[in-house]
Amino acid sequence: MALDPVVIKGTRDGITIIIERYGDFERVKNFIYEKLESGKDFFAGGTARVKVKNGFLSDEEYMKLEQLLKNYNMSLKKQPYPRSYIFPEQYRSPILLLKRTIRSGQKISYKGTVVILGDVNPGSEVVACGDILVMGVLRGMAHAGADGDISAIVAAFRLQPTQLRIAGVISRPPEEKQEVPRFPEVARLKDKTIVIEPYYQLNFNSIKRKQEGIK
Amino acid sequence: MSQVLVITSGKGGVGKTTTTANIGTGLALYKQRKVVMVDADIGLRNLDVVMGLENRIVYDLVDVTHGLCRLKQALIRDKRFENLYLLPAAQTKDKTAVTPEQMEKLCDELRKEFDYVLIDCPAGIEQGFKNAIAGADKAIIVTTPEVSAVRDADRIVGLLEASGFEEPKLLINRIRPDMVKRGDMMSIDDMIDILAIELLGVVPEDEKIVVSTNRGEPAVADESSRAGQAYRNITRRIEGEEVPLMTLEEVEPTFMDKLRMLFGLKNRTAKGDGAKWTF
Repeated sequence: MALDPVVIKGTRDGITIIIERYGDFERVKNFIYEKLESGKDFFAGGTARVKVKNGFLSDEEYMKLEQLLKNYNMSLKKQPYPRSYIFPEQYRSPILLLKRTIRSGQKISYKGTVVILGDVNPGSEVVACGDILVMGVLRGMAHAGADGDISAIVAAFRLQPTQLRIAGVISRPPEEKQEVPRFPEVARLKDKTIVIEPYYQLNFNSIKRKQEGIK
Repeated sequence: MSQVLVITSGKGGVGKTTTTANIGTGLALYKQRKVVMVDADIGLRNLDVVMGLENRIVYDLVDVTHGLCRLKQALIRDKRFENLYLLPAAQTKDKTAVTPEQMEKLCDELRKEFDYVLIDCPAGIEQGFKNAIAGADKAIIVTTPEVSAVRDADRIVGLLEASGFEEPKLLINRIRPDMVKRGDMMSIDDMIDILAIELLGVVPEDEKIVVSTNRGEPAVADESSRAGQAYRNITRRIEGEEVPLMTLEEVEPTFMDKLRMLFGLKNRTAKGDGAKWTF
Protein backbone atom coordinates (compact mmCIF):
# COMPACT_ATOMS: atom_id res chain seq x y z
CA MET A 1 0.00 0.00 0.00
CA ALA A 2 1.38 3.32 -1.05
CA LEU A 3 1.81 5.88 1.66
CA ASP A 4 -0.96 8.40 1.72
CA PRO A 5 0.45 11.87 1.34
CA VAL A 6 -2.24 13.25 3.65
CA VAL A 7 -3.80 12.09 6.87
CA ILE A 8 -6.87 13.83 8.21
CA LYS A 9 -7.58 13.54 11.89
CA GLY A 10 -10.44 14.82 13.91
CA THR A 11 -9.63 16.65 17.13
CA ARG A 12 -11.60 18.51 19.76
CA ASP A 13 -11.38 21.81 17.98
CA GLY A 14 -11.78 20.81 14.38
CA ILE A 15 -9.69 18.69 12.09
CA THR A 16 -5.97 18.46 11.54
CA ILE A 17 -4.54 17.85 8.10
CA ILE A 18 -1.17 16.17 8.33
CA ILE A 19 0.78 16.42 5.12
CA GLU A 20 3.65 14.08 4.41
CA ARG A 21 5.66 16.11 2.02
CA TYR A 22 7.23 13.61 -0.34
CA GLY A 23 5.80 14.44 -3.71
CA ASP A 24 4.60 17.55 -5.42
CA PHE A 25 1.90 19.80 -4.04
CA GLU A 26 -0.61 18.98 -6.77
CA ARG A 27 -0.81 15.39 -5.55
CA VAL A 28 -1.32 16.60 -1.99
CA LYS A 29 -4.02 19.01 -3.09
CA ASN A 30 -5.84 16.37 -5.15
CA PHE A 31 -5.77 13.97 -2.24
CA ILE A 32 -7.28 16.56 0.11
CA TYR A 33 -9.84 17.43 -2.53
CA GLU A 34 -10.94 13.76 -2.84
CA LYS A 35 -11.19 13.42 0.93
CA LEU A 36 -13.25 16.55 1.28
CA GLU A 37 -15.43 15.59 -1.67
CA SER A 38 -16.22 12.20 -0.12
CA GLY A 39 -17.30 13.75 3.16
CA LYS A 40 -18.72 17.08 2.03
CA ASP A 41 -21.39 17.40 4.70
CA PHE A 42 -19.17 16.11 7.45
CA PHE A 43 -16.45 18.65 6.94
CA ALA A 44 -18.55 21.69 6.07
CA GLY A 45 -18.28 24.66 8.35
CA GLY A 46 -15.46 23.38 10.46
CA THR A 47 -12.02 24.69 11.13
CA ALA A 48 -8.80 22.99 10.11
CA ARG A 49 -5.16 23.06 11.07
CA VAL A 50 -2.24 22.06 8.90
CA LYS A 51 0.85 20.16 9.94
CA VAL A 52 3.64 19.44 7.51
CA LYS A 53 6.12 16.64 7.89
CA ASN A 54 9.36 16.39 5.95
CA GLY A 55 9.27 19.88 4.54
CA PHE A 56 7.13 22.95 4.39
CA LEU A 57 4.52 24.74 2.32
CA SER A 58 5.35 27.88 0.44
CA ASP A 59 3.12 30.94 0.88
CA GLU A 60 1.54 30.27 -2.50
CA GLU A 61 0.77 26.64 -1.63
CA TYR A 62 -0.65 27.71 1.70
CA MET A 63 -2.98 30.13 -0.03
CA LYS A 64 -4.11 27.45 -2.50
CA LEU A 65 -4.93 25.15 0.39
CA GLU A 66 -6.87 27.92 2.12
CA GLN A 67 -8.85 28.51 -1.10
CA LEU A 68 -9.60 24.80 -1.43
CA LEU A 69 -10.94 24.60 2.12
CA LYS A 70 -12.99 27.73 1.59
CA ASN A 71 -14.91 25.92 -1.17
CA TYR A 72 -16.15 23.55 1.53
CA ASN A 73 -16.99 26.34 3.94
CA MET A 74 -14.02 25.53 6.06
CA SER A 75 -11.57 27.98 7.50
CA LEU A 76 -7.85 27.36 7.87
CA LYS A 77 -6.69 28.27 11.29
CA LYS A 78 -3.53 30.35 11.30
CA GLN A 79 -0.84 28.77 13.36
CA PRO A 80 2.31 30.36 14.65
CA TYR A 81 4.52 28.08 12.52
CA PRO A 82 2.43 26.44 9.84
CA ARG A 83 5.55 25.86 7.80
CA SER A 84 7.76 23.69 9.88
CA TYR A 85 11.37 24.05 8.90
CA ILE A 86 14.44 24.49 10.97
CA PHE A 87 16.62 26.99 9.14
CA PRO A 88 15.47 30.01 7.23
CA GLU A 89 16.41 29.38 3.60
CA GLN A 90 18.43 32.52 3.03
CA TYR A 91 20.95 31.67 5.78
CA ARG A 92 21.60 28.17 4.62
CA SER A 93 25.05 28.05 3.04
CA PRO A 94 26.54 24.85 1.67
CA ILE A 95 29.44 23.40 3.62
CA LEU A 96 32.33 21.35 2.29
CA LEU A 97 33.88 19.07 4.91
CA LEU A 98 37.34 17.70 4.11
CA LYS A 99 38.83 15.05 6.35
CA ARG A 100 42.42 15.18 5.14
CA THR A 101 45.55 17.30 4.95
CA ILE A 102 45.67 19.76 2.08
CA ARG A 103 49.17 19.46 0.68
CA SER A 104 51.47 21.64 -1.40
CA GLY A 105 50.13 22.11 -4.93
CA GLN A 106 46.55 21.23 -4.01
CA LYS A 107 43.76 23.78 -4.37
CA ILE A 108 40.33 23.68 -2.80
CA SER A 109 37.72 25.99 -4.32
CA TYR A 110 34.18 26.02 -3.02
CA LYS A 111 31.24 28.34 -3.26
CA GLY A 112 30.26 27.92 0.37
CA THR A 113 31.97 27.37 3.69
CA VAL A 114 34.97 25.06 3.88
CA VAL A 115 35.76 23.04 6.99
CA ILE A 116 39.02 21.09 7.02
CA LEU A 117 39.75 18.38 9.57
CA GLY A 118 43.49 18.36 9.01
CA ASP A 119 46.31 20.71 8.15
CA VAL A 120 46.58 23.14 5.26
CA ASN A 121 50.22 22.91 4.27
CA PRO A 122 52.39 25.62 2.71
CA GLY A 123 52.08 25.77 -1.06
CA SER A 124 48.38 24.89 -1.01
CA GLU A 125 45.35 27.13 -1.51
CA VAL A 126 41.89 27.14 0.00
CA VAL A 127 39.39 29.47 -1.66
CA ALA A 128 35.84 29.72 -0.33
CA CYS A 129 32.95 32.08 -0.95
CA GLY A 130 31.99 31.61 2.67
CA ASP A 131 34.09 31.08 5.79
CA ILE A 132 37.12 28.84 6.18
CA LEU A 133 37.59 26.76 9.30
CA VAL A 134 40.73 24.68 9.72
CA MET A 135 40.76 22.16 12.55
CA GLY A 136 44.53 21.91 12.32
CA VAL A 137 47.44 24.11 11.29
CA LEU A 138 46.79 26.59 8.50
CA ARG A 139 50.16 27.18 6.83
CA GLY A 140 49.05 27.72 3.23
CA MET A 141 47.03 30.44 1.53
CA ALA A 142 43.42 30.94 2.55
CA HIS A 143 40.88 33.16 0.80
CA ALA A 144 37.51 33.52 2.51
CA GLY A 145 34.59 35.48 1.07
CA ALA A 146 36.12 35.04 -2.37
CA ASP A 147 33.09 36.52 -4.14
CA GLY A 148 33.13 39.64 -2.01
CA ASP A 149 31.54 38.71 1.31
CA ILE A 150 33.34 41.04 3.71
CA SER A 151 31.79 39.31 6.72
CA ALA A 152 33.64 36.06 5.96
CA ILE A 153 36.14 34.77 8.51
CA VAL A 154 39.14 32.46 8.52
CA ALA A 155 39.48 30.43 11.71
CA ALA A 156 42.18 27.92 12.46
CA PHE A 157 43.38 25.83 15.35
CA ARG A 158 46.82 27.28 14.56
CA LEU A 159 46.75 30.25 12.22
CA GLN A 160 50.14 30.49 10.46
CA PRO A 161 49.20 31.22 6.85
CA THR A 162 51.60 32.24 4.08
CA GLN A 163 48.93 34.71 3.04
CA LEU A 164 45.40 35.56 4.08
CA ARG A 165 42.70 37.01 1.87
CA ILE A 166 39.22 38.04 2.89
CA ALA A 167 36.97 39.37 0.13
CA GLY A 168 39.25 41.79 -1.76
CA VAL A 169 41.77 42.38 1.03
CA ILE A 170 45.14 40.64 1.01
CA SER A 171 47.49 40.45 3.97
CA ARG A 172 50.58 38.52 4.90
CA PRO A 173 52.24 37.85 8.22
CA PRO A 174 55.07 40.18 9.28
CA GLU A 175 58.49 39.39 7.78
CA GLU A 176 60.34 39.30 11.07
CA LYS A 177 60.21 36.01 12.88
CA GLN A 178 57.93 36.07 15.86
CA GLU A 179 56.56 33.72 18.45
CA VAL A 180 53.64 31.77 17.01
CA PRO A 181 50.58 31.72 19.27
CA ARG A 182 49.66 28.31 20.59
CA PHE A 183 45.90 28.84 20.59
CA PRO A 184 43.14 29.03 18.00
CA GLU A 185 42.70 32.31 16.20
CA VAL A 186 40.18 33.96 13.94
CA ALA A 187 40.87 36.42 11.13
CA ARG A 188 38.23 38.80 9.89
CA LEU A 189 37.80 42.17 8.26
CA LYS A 190 37.60 45.29 10.37
CA ASP A 191 37.51 48.58 8.50
CA LYS A 192 39.06 47.11 5.35
CA THR A 193 41.99 45.52 7.19
CA ILE A 194 42.36 41.93 8.25
CA VAL A 195 42.62 41.58 12.00
CA ILE A 196 43.53 38.39 13.84
CA GLU A 197 42.09 37.73 17.25
CA PRO A 198 42.37 34.87 19.71
CA TYR A 199 39.32 32.65 19.37
CA TYR A 200 38.49 32.83 23.08
CA GLN A 201 38.40 36.63 23.04
CA LEU A 202 36.09 36.72 20.13
CA ASN A 203 32.72 38.31 20.53
CA PHE A 204 30.60 36.33 18.12
CA ASN A 205 27.58 38.54 18.72
CA SER A 206 29.38 41.43 17.13
CA ILE A 207 30.20 39.29 14.11
CA LYS A 208 26.60 38.15 13.89
CA ARG A 209 25.31 41.70 14.09
CA LYS A 210 27.67 42.65 11.33
CA GLN A 211 26.48 39.82 9.13
CA GLU A 212 22.84 40.66 9.67
CA GLY A 213 23.57 44.26 8.90
CA ILE A 214 24.95 43.28 5.55
CA LYS A 215 22.11 41.00 4.61
CA MET B 1 55.70 -11.76 -1.33
CA SER B 2 57.75 -9.41 -3.45
CA GLN B 3 57.50 -5.66 -3.14
CA VAL B 4 57.94 -2.85 -5.61
CA LEU B 5 59.20 0.27 -3.83
CA VAL B 6 59.62 3.64 -5.48
CA ILE B 7 62.14 6.07 -3.99
CA THR B 8 61.03 9.59 -4.77
CA SER B 9 61.35 13.18 -3.51
CA GLY B 10 60.17 15.85 -5.90
CA LYS B 11 63.25 17.97 -5.37
CA GLY B 12 66.53 16.95 -6.92
CA GLY B 13 69.77 16.34 -5.08
CA VAL B 14 68.28 15.14 -1.80
CA GLY B 15 69.68 11.64 -2.10
CA LYS B 16 67.23 9.43 -3.98
CA THR B 17 69.90 7.61 -5.93
CA THR B 18 72.16 7.22 -2.89
CA THR B 19 69.19 5.91 -0.92
CA THR B 20 68.22 3.45 -3.65
CA ALA B 21 71.78 2.16 -3.89
CA ASN B 22 72.15 1.79 -0.12
CA ILE B 23 68.77 0.19 0.57
CA GLY B 24 69.27 -2.15 -2.39
CA THR B 25 72.72 -3.16 -1.23
CA GLY B 26 71.55 -3.44 2.39
CA LEU B 27 68.68 -5.78 1.53
CA ALA B 28 70.92 -7.96 -0.65
CA LEU B 29 73.94 -7.99 1.66
CA TYR B 30 72.41 -8.21 5.13
CA LYS B 31 69.08 -9.81 4.40
CA GLN B 32 70.08 -12.07 1.51
CA ARG B 33 67.17 -10.80 -0.51
CA LYS B 34 67.13 -10.91 -4.27
CA VAL B 35 66.96 -7.26 -5.22
CA VAL B 36 66.77 -5.34 -8.48
CA MET B 37 67.27 -1.58 -8.65
CA VAL B 38 65.60 0.12 -11.59
CA ASP B 39 66.94 3.49 -12.68
CA ALA B 40 63.87 5.35 -13.95
CA ASP B 41 65.81 8.57 -14.56
CA ILE B 42 66.00 8.17 -18.33
CA GLY B 43 68.39 10.65 -19.89
CA LEU B 44 70.13 11.46 -16.60
CA ARG B 45 71.14 8.08 -15.33
CA ASN B 46 73.26 7.95 -12.18
CA LEU B 47 72.49 4.78 -10.30
CA ASP B 48 74.95 2.79 -12.40
CA VAL B 49 77.70 5.27 -11.52
CA VAL B 50 76.89 5.19 -7.81
CA MET B 51 76.98 1.39 -7.93
CA GLY B 52 80.19 1.39 -9.95
CA LEU B 53 78.59 -0.58 -12.77
CA GLU B 54 78.67 1.98 -15.55
CA ASN B 55 81.11 0.09 -17.76
CA ARG B 56 78.97 -3.05 -17.78
CA ILE B 57 75.90 -1.57 -19.41
CA VAL B 58 74.96 -3.16 -22.72
CA TYR B 59 71.18 -2.86 -22.82
CA ASP B 60 68.93 -0.57 -20.81
CA LEU B 61 65.35 -0.06 -19.63
CA VAL B 62 64.21 1.51 -22.90
CA ASP B 63 65.64 -1.40 -24.89
CA VAL B 64 63.59 -3.76 -22.73
CA THR B 65 60.32 -1.85 -23.02
CA HIS B 66 60.80 -1.52 -26.77
CA GLY B 67 61.49 -5.22 -27.12
CA LEU B 68 65.03 -4.75 -28.43
CA CYS B 69 66.36 -7.24 -25.89
CA ARG B 70 65.13 -9.66 -23.28
CA LEU B 71 64.80 -8.44 -19.70
CA LYS B 72 67.51 -10.83 -18.52
CA GLN B 73 69.97 -9.38 -21.02
CA ALA B 74 69.58 -5.85 -19.65
CA LEU B 75 69.92 -6.81 -15.97
CA ILE B 76 73.42 -6.22 -14.62
CA ARG B 77 74.55 -8.38 -11.74
CA ASP B 78 76.46 -6.42 -9.13
CA LYS B 79 80.17 -7.09 -8.97
CA ARG B 80 80.25 -7.53 -5.17
CA PHE B 81 76.84 -8.66 -4.01
CA GLU B 82 75.45 -11.65 -5.81
CA ASN B 83 71.75 -11.09 -5.05
CA LEU B 84 71.83 -7.55 -6.34
CA TYR B 85 70.89 -6.49 -9.86
CA LEU B 86 70.59 -3.21 -11.71
CA LEU B 87 68.35 -2.30 -14.61
CA PRO B 88 70.00 0.86 -15.96
CA ALA B 89 68.25 3.78 -17.60
CA ALA B 90 68.95 4.87 -21.15
CA GLN B 91 71.18 7.90 -21.35
CA THR B 92 70.53 8.92 -24.95
CA LYS B 93 66.73 9.04 -24.70
CA ASP B 94 64.35 11.06 -22.54
CA LYS B 95 61.42 10.44 -20.21
CA THR B 96 58.92 10.16 -23.05
CA ALA B 97 60.65 6.99 -24.29
CA VAL B 98 58.51 4.87 -21.96
CA THR B 99 54.90 5.02 -20.80
CA PRO B 100 53.43 4.30 -17.36
CA GLU B 101 51.76 1.19 -18.83
CA GLN B 102 55.11 -0.16 -20.02
CA MET B 103 56.63 0.50 -16.60
CA GLU B 104 53.76 -1.31 -14.91
CA LYS B 105 54.31 -4.32 -17.14
CA LEU B 106 58.04 -4.23 -16.52
CA CYS B 107 57.57 -4.10 -12.74
CA ASP B 108 55.19 -7.05 -12.84
CA GLU B 109 57.78 -9.06 -14.76
CA LEU B 110 60.53 -8.14 -12.30
CA ARG B 111 58.25 -8.98 -9.39
CA LYS B 112 58.23 -12.62 -10.45
CA GLU B 113 62.02 -12.88 -10.21
CA PHE B 114 62.92 -10.67 -7.25
CA ASP B 115 62.01 -10.14 -3.60
CA TYR B 116 62.42 -6.39 -3.92
CA VAL B 117 62.14 -4.09 -6.91
CA LEU B 118 63.51 -0.64 -6.04
CA ILE B 119 62.72 2.16 -8.47
CA ASP B 120 64.93 5.23 -8.44
CA CYS B 121 62.55 8.03 -9.40
CA PRO B 122 63.75 11.14 -11.26
CA ALA B 123 63.25 14.58 -9.72
CA GLY B 124 60.12 16.48 -10.73
CA ILE B 125 56.46 15.59 -11.02
CA GLU B 126 56.16 15.11 -14.77
CA GLN B 127 56.31 12.09 -17.06
CA GLY B 128 59.39 10.60 -15.38
CA PHE B 129 57.68 10.65 -11.98
CA LYS B 130 54.48 9.19 -13.43
CA ASN B 131 56.49 6.40 -15.07
CA ALA B 132 58.40 5.64 -11.89
CA ILE B 133 55.34 5.32 -9.64
CA ALA B 134 53.17 3.46 -12.16
CA GLY B 135 54.23 -0.05 -11.17
CA ALA B 136 55.07 0.55 -7.52
CA ASP B 137 53.18 -0.76 -4.47
CA LYS B 138 54.80 1.46 -1.87
CA ALA B 139 56.71 4.72 -1.82
CA ILE B 140 59.65 6.05 0.17
CA ILE B 141 59.89 9.81 0.16
CA VAL B 142 63.35 11.27 0.65
CA THR B 143 63.76 14.78 1.99
CA THR B 144 66.51 16.89 3.49
CA PRO B 145 65.95 19.35 6.35
CA GLU B 146 65.36 22.27 4.00
CA VAL B 147 62.10 24.13 3.59
CA SER B 148 62.15 23.73 -0.19
CA ALA B 149 62.79 19.98 -0.03
CA VAL B 150 60.02 19.50 2.54
CA ARG B 151 57.65 21.56 0.41
CA ASP B 152 58.34 19.37 -2.60
CA ALA B 153 58.03 16.23 -0.50
CA ASP B 154 54.60 17.45 0.61
CA ARG B 155 53.59 17.92 -3.01
CA ILE B 156 54.75 14.38 -3.77
CA VAL B 157 52.75 12.96 -0.84
CA GLY B 158 49.68 14.70 -2.25
CA LEU B 159 50.28 13.30 -5.74
CA LEU B 160 50.94 9.82 -4.38
CA GLU B 161 47.74 9.92 -2.34
CA ALA B 162 45.86 10.97 -5.45
CA SER B 163 47.33 7.97 -7.29
CA GLY B 164 46.10 5.61 -4.58
CA PHE B 165 49.30 5.07 -2.60
CA GLU B 166 48.62 4.31 1.02
CA GLU B 167 50.97 5.49 3.73
CA PRO B 168 54.14 6.55 1.98
CA LYS B 169 57.17 6.43 4.30
CA LEU B 170 59.52 9.30 5.03
CA LEU B 171 63.30 9.17 4.93
CA ILE B 172 65.07 12.25 6.27
CA ASN B 173 68.51 12.59 4.75
CA ARG B 174 71.58 14.69 5.56
CA ILE B 175 70.48 15.89 8.96
CA ARG B 176 73.08 17.61 11.14
CA PRO B 177 72.25 17.18 14.82
CA ASP B 178 74.55 20.03 15.83
CA MET B 179 72.73 22.47 13.54
CA VAL B 180 69.32 21.25 14.70
CA LYS B 181 70.44 21.80 18.27
CA ARG B 182 71.46 25.37 17.48
CA GLY B 183 68.09 25.97 15.83
CA ASP B 184 69.68 26.52 12.41
CA MET B 185 68.11 23.45 10.83
CA MET B 186 64.63 21.95 10.72
CA SER B 187 64.26 19.16 13.24
CA ILE B 188 62.78 15.73 12.61
CA ASP B 189 59.63 16.80 14.46
CA ASP B 190 59.30 19.96 12.35
CA MET B 191 59.28 17.87 9.20
CA ILE B 192 56.91 15.21 10.52
CA ASP B 193 54.56 17.98 11.70
CA ILE B 194 54.16 19.21 8.15
CA LEU B 195 54.28 15.97 6.21
CA ALA B 196 52.28 13.87 8.69
CA ILE B 197 53.54 10.55 7.37
CA GLU B 198 55.34 7.68 9.03
CA LEU B 199 59.09 8.01 9.50
CA LEU B 200 61.17 5.22 8.00
CA GLY B 201 64.53 6.53 9.09
CA VAL B 202 66.94 9.39 9.52
CA VAL B 203 70.32 9.51 7.82
CA PRO B 204 72.87 11.92 9.27
CA GLU B 205 75.13 14.04 7.10
CA ASP B 206 78.29 12.07 6.45
CA GLU B 207 81.33 12.95 4.37
CA LYS B 208 81.84 9.31 3.68
CA ILE B 209 78.78 9.31 1.42
CA VAL B 210 80.58 11.60 -1.03
CA VAL B 211 83.58 9.28 -1.03
CA SER B 212 81.53 6.11 -1.40
CA THR B 213 79.37 7.64 -4.13
CA ASN B 214 82.44 8.66 -6.13
CA ARG B 215 84.03 5.27 -5.67
CA GLY B 216 80.87 3.39 -6.55
CA GLU B 217 80.75 1.56 -3.22
CA PRO B 218 77.52 1.99 -1.23
CA ALA B 219 78.12 3.28 2.31
CA VAL B 220 75.76 0.70 3.81
CA ALA B 221 78.52 -1.90 3.45
CA ASP B 222 80.97 0.32 5.33
CA GLU B 223 80.78 -0.63 9.01
CA SER B 224 82.49 2.60 10.09
CA SER B 225 80.09 4.96 8.30
CA ARG B 226 77.31 6.42 10.40
CA ALA B 227 75.17 7.07 7.33
CA GLY B 228 75.82 3.43 6.52
CA GLN B 229 74.56 2.47 9.97
CA ALA B 230 71.42 4.52 9.40
CA TYR B 231 70.84 2.73 6.10
CA ARG B 232 71.38 -0.64 7.77
CA ASN B 233 68.66 0.29 10.28
CA ILE B 234 66.36 1.39 7.47
CA THR B 235 66.96 -1.90 5.68
CA ARG B 236 65.87 -3.77 8.79
CA ARG B 237 62.76 -1.61 9.14
CA ILE B 238 61.80 -2.35 5.54
CA GLU B 239 62.06 -6.02 6.47
CA GLY B 240 59.51 -5.35 9.22
CA GLU B 241 61.84 -5.25 12.21
CA GLU B 242 61.30 -2.72 14.96
CA VAL B 243 64.49 -0.71 15.14
CA PRO B 244 64.60 2.41 17.30
CA LEU B 245 66.00 5.59 15.78
CA MET B 246 69.69 6.27 16.19
CA THR B 247 70.54 8.73 18.93
CA LEU B 248 71.60 11.71 16.97
CA GLU B 249 73.10 13.84 19.72
CA GLU B 250 76.80 13.46 19.97
CA VAL B 251 77.74 12.60 23.53
CA GLU B 252 80.99 13.99 24.82
CA PRO B 253 83.17 11.27 26.34
CA THR B 254 83.36 11.59 30.09
CA PHE B 255 86.63 11.97 31.94
CA MET B 256 86.54 8.31 32.91
CA ASP B 257 85.88 7.31 29.29
CA LYS B 258 88.89 9.32 28.19
CA LEU B 259 90.99 7.72 30.87
CA ARG B 260 89.87 4.27 29.87
CA MET B 261 90.53 5.05 26.24
CA LEU B 262 93.98 6.26 27.16
CA PHE B 263 94.81 2.92 28.67
CA GLY B 264 93.12 1.08 25.84
CA LEU B 265 90.52 -0.34 28.21
CA LYS B 266 87.61 0.81 26.15
CA ASN B 267 87.38 0.57 22.41
CA ARG B 268 86.48 3.80 20.81
CA THR B 269 83.20 3.72 18.97
CA ALA B 270 83.06 2.88 15.32
CA LYS B 271 83.08 6.52 14.43
CA GLY B 272 86.24 7.06 16.39
CA ASP B 273 85.46 10.48 17.83
CA GLY B 274 83.79 9.58 21.06
CA ALA B 275 80.29 9.99 19.66
CA LYS B 276 77.75 7.60 21.04
CA TRP B 277 75.36 5.94 18.67
CA THR B 278 72.69 3.66 19.91
CA PHE B 279 71.23 1.18 17.47
